[in-house]
Amino acid sequence: MRSLGARAAVWRERAGRGSIGLLALLGVGILAGLLLLGRDLLGSEDLTWQAMQRRGSWRVGMDPSFPPFEMLDETGQPVGLDVDLARAMAQEWGLELEIVSLGFDGLVDALLAGKIDSVVSALPYDPRLTQDIAYSPPYFEAGVRLVVPQGSPIQDVQGLAGMRVAVEWGSAGDAVGRRLRREEPSIQLILRPSPEEAVAALLAGDADALLIDGVTLGLAQAQGAAIQAVGPPLESDPYVIALPLDAPVLQERVRAALASLRESGALARLEARWFASSEMTP
Amino acid sequence: MSRFIPAVRRPNALRRLFTALVLLGLLLTAVFLVWRPFSRSVPLGPQQQVQTINPKMGVHTRLTDEAEAWKIKRTLEMVREMGAPWIVEYFPWAYYEPEPGEFDWGHPDLVISHARRQGLKVIARLGFAPEWARPPDTTPLYLDEEGYQSFGRYAAAFARRYAGQVDYIILWNEPNLSMEWGFRPVDPAAYTAMLRVVTPMVKAANPDVQVLAGALAPSLAPPGSEWGLDDRLYLQGMYDAGAKEYFDVLAIHAYGWHFDPDEPAAPDVVNFRRAELLRQIMVANGDAEKPAMITEGGWNDHPRWTKAVRPSQRIRYTIRAYQIAQEEWPWLESISLWAFRFPWDTKTYQDYFTFVSTDFEPKPIYLEVQRYAQGQWEAP
Repeated sequence: MRSLGARAAVWRERAGRGSIGLLALLGVGILAGLLLLGRDLLGSEDLTWQAMQRRGSWRVGMDPSFPPFEMLDETGQPVGLDVDLARAMAQEWGLELEIVSLGFDGLVDALLAGKIDSVVSALPYDPRLTQDIAYSPPYFEAGVRLVVPQGSPIQDVQGLAGMRVAVEWGSAGDAVGRRLRREEPSIQLILRPSPEEAVAALLAGDADALLIDGVTLGLAQAQGAAIQAVGPPLESDPYVIALPLDAPVLQERVRAALASLRESGALARLEARWFASSEMTP
Repeated sequence: MSRFIPAVRRPNALRRLFTALVLLGLLLTAVFLVWRPFSRSVPLGPQQQVQTINPKMGVHTRLTDEAEAWKIKRTLEMVREMGAPWIVEYFPWAYYEPEPGEFDWGHPDLVISHARRQGLKVIARLGFAPEWARPPDTTPLYLDEEGYQSFGRYAAAFARRYAGQVDYIILWNEPNLSMEWGFRPVDPAAYTAMLRVVTPMVKAANPDVQVLAGALAPSLAPPGSEWGLDDRLYLQGMYDAGAKEYFDVLAIHAYGWHFDPDEPAAPDVVNFRRAELLRQIMVANGDAEKPAMITEGGWNDHPRWTKAVRPSQRIRYTIRAYQIAQEEWPWLESISLWAFRFPWDTKTYQDYFTFVSTDFEPKPIYLEVQRYAQGQWEAP
């Protein structure tokens, strides 16, 4: 059996060896971090960003069939919130915006195949795809909201007991309404065949509240309906920009540009402009 | 001195504790490994019956890639609770005969036993060729003459194993689409040649089984198209090639796209009543006594897909389609709409065909169809 002193010496020796190992590991980690940081900052490995610079354009895929985000004007040109948003970002980078019209279900495949640099097309966030593509922070929340007339005492779903709640029959809002009614059977659902008619029911006083998606809400508000969303989204559906996974510079540029557009109020102005110019057609 | 004794002994105590933990871990691992195969199964539960006002109602389930037994059971319970006595389910050949003559029936056993216990009638869709049964560099949807016997052996083995449990078998899917025919030009005569080989093998294995053929995709593609062929022309091509004697039931795919189910049929339109045109071809070819089944169909309520309708329209159209099947089409035995539930979100327009979300939350359409099946449905 070793003496206590000998044991202490062994432990010190082991600790010394451990410290050296730890320091070596730390050194390697710092070196790797610096290399990665340098690569990102210099953009040496972002082939997408490099291609955009050589080409002088940002090649964006979109399906121009979803007003007010993207649609075709009378001359067949894509217009809409997403078009203006992408153009503003491209301008900030000194690039032209190049729009590639594709079917909605083919957008991500086109990105993965390198046919386009990004997708800007009211694209809902899909966590399952984050292994293959990168996403920007959300720029629009399209999920189900609880909506009430301005001045309503209802401030959240707790206030819906005994209330009449309008929904588009069969929609995600209807599904949320039925879930809420399971917990609070006194909620009366007012089913309407379209989102516009559900909004009209609220405005006409046939309902006390409304469960509707963010796009319909934005359209109604932009056209002067005195209604407002209360509480957080009851079912989130954020729209994001999809980017190549191996494009760290482009990802950072998109993130910064979106933040800048949001802080300057430009994004809100784009929303107001395009939602106001699109009509709700019952 | 005595204060130091515990300190000297602590490493031994720690070692014993460590050893105990390792042994416990090994024991738990062993229990897990022994238990794991059994954990796949869940109790079948008592025999159930479907309560419905419309015995033709059905859905196409997608349990092929659903690994967890409780999810299979829950899916089939919800089908029964919705009031649909029929399901169509896919049993891919490549999954269950990975090597020639080596069958793995574990998953089909699970699906079929639970379906039967819920009182559901199973229509089994067979297809998807294993690598060993097709030439190199072909897709699983490629089946040529060399593979007909092999496919027949699989279909016969399936029919034999599930005799008395599965009375309907669909041979292949949408052969009038090039993609579904292994990216070759479609060929009704070749498909008929497959029926001529496979159907007698299936019948020999189980004389009571009904063979469904066709399952054609609604299509307007003209002859010579690289994508496929108009389903009416393809069906006539099958009859011309002598298919009549080699199937018992015509499988029809009846999608409504954005049309009301009462929109009249027309040769240049894909709508729900296109099924009537296929029926006319059956009658014109002396096959009026033979029934048909809709094994796919329905409407989609994706907000952006060009062939979709509003959710409220989807509810109305779906219930109307079930009504038409029951009230107007005596030649139709069942109507199974696409698709009850997927194991996971596809994040495409396909998700908007479903009745139930991946987490088993019933969509409004499920609840409305359920009310219809209970005889309580009224449009708001």
